[in-house]
Amino acid sequence: MPEKENERTIFSLLEVTKSIQKTLLERYKSSFWVKAEMNKLNYYKQSGHCYPELVEKQNGKIIAQIKSHFWKDDYLRVNNNFQKVLKEPLKDGIKILFLAKVSFDPEHGLALWIIDIDPSYTMGDLEREKQETINKLKEESIFNRNKLLKLPLLPQRIAIISVETSKGYADFVKVIDTNAWKYKFFHFLFPSLLQGDKAIHAILVQLKRIEKVKNHFDVVAIIRGGGGDVGLSCYNSYQLAKEIALFPIPVITGIGHATNETVTEMVSFSNAITPTKLAEYLLQKFHNFSVPVQEAEKKIIDKSRRLLTEQKVKFQSEVKLFRSVTENILATNRNEIKNSTRSLLQNAHFIFKNQKHLLHTINANIIKGMNFIYSSTKQKLKQFAITIRKDASSQISQSKLIISQLKEKLLSQSMLKFKSSKIELDNIEKNIVNMSPENVLKRGYSITLLNGKAVKNISQVSSGDTLDTTVFEGSIISIVKSTNKTSNQ
Amino acid sequence: MSEKINYTAAFEELQTIVSEIEQGEISVDELSEKVKRASQLIKLCKTKLTATEEDVTKILKELDSSSSDDED
Repeated sequence: MPEKENERTIFSLLEVTKSIQKTLLERYKSSFWVKAEMNKLNYYKQSGHCYPELVEKQNGKIIAQIKSHFWKDDYLRVNNNFQKVLKEPLKDGIKILFLAKVSFDPEHGLALWIIDIDPSYTMGDLEREKQETINKLKEESIFNRNKLLKLPLLPQRIAIISVETSKGYADFVKVIDTNAWKYKFFHFLFPSLLQGDKAIHAILVQLKRIEKVKNHFDVVAIIRGGGGDVGLSCYNSYQLAKEIALFPIPVITGIGHATNETVTEMVSFSNAITPTKLAEYLLQKFHNFSVPVQEAEKKIIDKSRRLLTEQKVKFQSEVKLFRSVTENILATNRNEIKNSTRSLLQNAHFIFKNQKHLLHTINANIIKGMNFIYSSTKQKLKQFAITIRKDASSQISQSKLIISQLKEKLLSQSMLKFKSSKIELDNIEKNIVNMSPENVLKRGYSITLLNGKAVKNISQVSSGDTLDTTVFEGSIISIVKSTNKTSNQ
Repeated sequence: MSEKINYTAAFEELQTIVSEIEQGEISVDELSEKVKRASQLIKLCKTKLTATEEDVTKILKELDSSSSDDED
């Protein structure tokens, strides 16, 4: 009961809360459907009850909120239903349409008591969210970004995002590690949660780590499997899908579920339904490389052999052809030579015969000519001899005559000459006698000598000189008294 | 990285040789050289299929150093 003190009535807290409880119970007798966002589920494992945080937002701002409770049995039933219909458990951050009653408890205060939740409302909301993610990625033109990357011919180095103990991981690793073709893969596990809301952050963290060492990897494989089809709406998260679309190396997914493809799978470079199929996809890439290499080997061996054989056959036929052609040419030439030889012999023979005949004729002509020349020369010589003899004797007698005539002439001439010469000589003798000094002297002339030399000029003599004068039958010695030069006219 | 280019280039070169030989563009004179080259390329490709040189410790080291970077 309330206390009274100084005209004031004082209630205990319990009295007040009980009063509120009473009022509310009277006011809110029936249950009603409410739509709200379940910000937090607040599931308590030990009790099995949930205490969801319900809010209503407008433009991202909370405009109403209230606590709620969701008792174990209701939760289990609803959660089962959700997993069946949505392939998602009840979780934080979903919009729900729920049947509730207002509840007030003096100890715990006001809350909504959730009796049931309609999964189809949430499903529509999740579907809308997924569509929004897709639209946003497309608007930002990054939806196809990862698909446009180039996967190396051999995606050999795989960064795996998975759970080490999961069946999907085991399947995947088994297929790539024990393949029958001995293809060698290198894989490295980046462990992460793979379902439920916490998976988004966990996967993002591992993607960051992979990005640091991306040079060591050709491809990222997100592998999940064996966990049922529940809790995959995280793969529709805009944040995760964007990170995968923009990841610098190809991301492939093998998430393993039977429901609709998630956005993450849509934007990934390639998606396989199960981890095993994803492993087979990688093996196929190796086949695509290996088969052409093996075929190349076979083709090159085959074609080389064929080429060599062809060339050999060609060469042999060329040799055959060459031989037959040369044999033909030889035979033709041999024939030609034979024919030429024959005709040469014939011609030579003919020419020889002709020449021989010609020689005979010439020879005969020469002999004939010689005989003729000989006889005619002989004849001429005989005539010459006769003529010479005749000529010579007439010449000799003529000459004899001339000689005797000349003899006579010579005699008479020389006699004549002799007589005339004698007369001349007589005359000369007379003159000579007349001219002799004795005769001269006789005739009165003298010769005056001075010092043994005849004086021919008065100038030779001067007074006192002794002159010797020769006269007929003697000489006079005189001394010059004077000289007197005869004057010239 | 260069090794990656090598096997891709080797694969392409091999395809070229095969198509050349199939088209009959290779003469007997070139044949031995081409076959020799092709066998080298085939060997390289086959080796690549069955071997990898990645080193776990190196990756771990790089991961460690980068995560400590993040903490700074």
